[in-house]
Amino acid sequence: MVLTLYGNPQSTCTKRVAIVFHEKQVPFNFVAVDFAKGEHKSPEFVAKQPFGQIPYLDDDGYIIYESRAIARYIEEKYAGQGTALIPKDLKAKGHFEQAASVEVFNFDAYASAAVFEKLIKPYQNLTPDIAVFDALIKKLEAKLDVYEQILSKQKYLGGDEVTLADLSHLPYGSLLPAVGSNVIESRPNVAKWFKSLQDRPSWQAVKDVVAATA
Amino acid sequence: MVLKLYAAPLSTASLRVAQILHEKKVPFEFISIDLARKENKEEEYLEKQPFGQVPYIDDDGFILYESRAITRYLAVKYPEQGTQGLVPDIKDVKAWALFEQASSNEVANFESLARVIVYEKVFKVRIGQEPDLKAYENAHSQLSAKLDAYEKILGKQPYLAGETLTLADLSHLPFGTRLYLAGAGDLIDSRPNVSKWFKALKERESWKEIEKGITTSREEW
Repeated sequence: MVLTLYGNPQSTCTKRVAIVFHEKQVPFNFVAVDFAKGEHKSPEFVAKQPFGQIPYLDDDGYIIYESRAIARYIEEKYAGQGTALIPKDLKAKGHFEQAASVEVFNFDAYASAAVFEKLIKPYQNLTPDIAVFDALIKKLEAKLDVYEQILSKQKYLGGDEVTLADLSHLPYGSLLPAVGSNVIESRPNVAKWFKSLQDRPSWQAVKDVVAATA
Repeated sequence: MVLKLYAAPLSTASLRVAQILHEKKVPFEFISIDLARKENKEEEYLEKQPFGQVPYIDDDGFILYESRAITRYLAVKYPEQGTQGLVPDIKDVKAWALFEQASSNEVANFESLARVIVYEKVFKVRIGQEPDLKAYENAHSQLSAKLDAYEKILGKQPYLAGETLTLADLSHLPFGTRLYLAGAGDLIDSRPNVSKWFKALKERESWKEIEKGITTSREEW
């Protein structure tokens, strides 16, 4: 049975998973969850994803949620095909896990909150708090100064090979210009690294909308 | 060479790693980093941990930081000793992915909110600053909703990833215990399944040995 991804065609977390389907060359079905109708809070949905969040994956009855967990599942299940996205060697794997954790705490925490403040709040009829936004960008800049150092010595965040840790940055990183932030472009090593990720066919395939490939 | 743990005695991330060293019975030398004196921002420290955060480990020359990367490394490096199954065998892809799901939940649906509660009501008070009550209440009500989901999950299975204890459960201890210091312990205590689960984690010997702070190296077990 073909894997089915439940999500939103333009959602960042849905895209984070879709990238990996493309990298691993795994066909998938896609079901768009109707946010406007509150479908993600319906009893049927919550029975599958108890936090009422998207995306989740249904692999012939096996349900998994949290985009980074779904990405790991696809990588390991289809380890023999497409791009290798998690190293096998103990130390290389350690460096991957370090980079994966850095993405969550030292990038996503600030980038996603900044995007929420300026881009999402208006959709919810809320007023962006510019002081909050500026503080988040300032913190993100300090973290990206460290990225700049790291990426001067190695090609990717976990070492010299691309991993899930790098790809996970794409959805929110690509939205930073939309909120008026050039924190990536203004740092040469970070900019070069990020552009190489954006140039990958997997990102090109999902950057605007996620669609089924099965 | 004995593994070296560079950590601050009461830092949540440091405690997260120390507990797993205990669970896996890995000998370690504890090098205390003085955060008040900004030892973590000195050049010597930044060479090893460029973000200037605690903890990091030096495992015979192999440097690793980010507490959840370190705990996974220890669980995978020492599968046979101490508490087993803290990370499911990756060959059982489905079980391993459910562990990663629970781990991601811990970070996104628990710590991100618990951290705000603890920051406003414990840290700020300690340094004589006014808590932002709106931020506190917002985080409290959001965490409450998340823990309603935890209550359902733990009504069907004893641990967050399934039938056995994993790192995903243990990772909740540092911030979970600090919720009580913030006067928000009711978030856990008012939910029978969550309360039972959390109490059992707190009573593990590995947590009891370090809950008041990491104080000592442990060269043998």
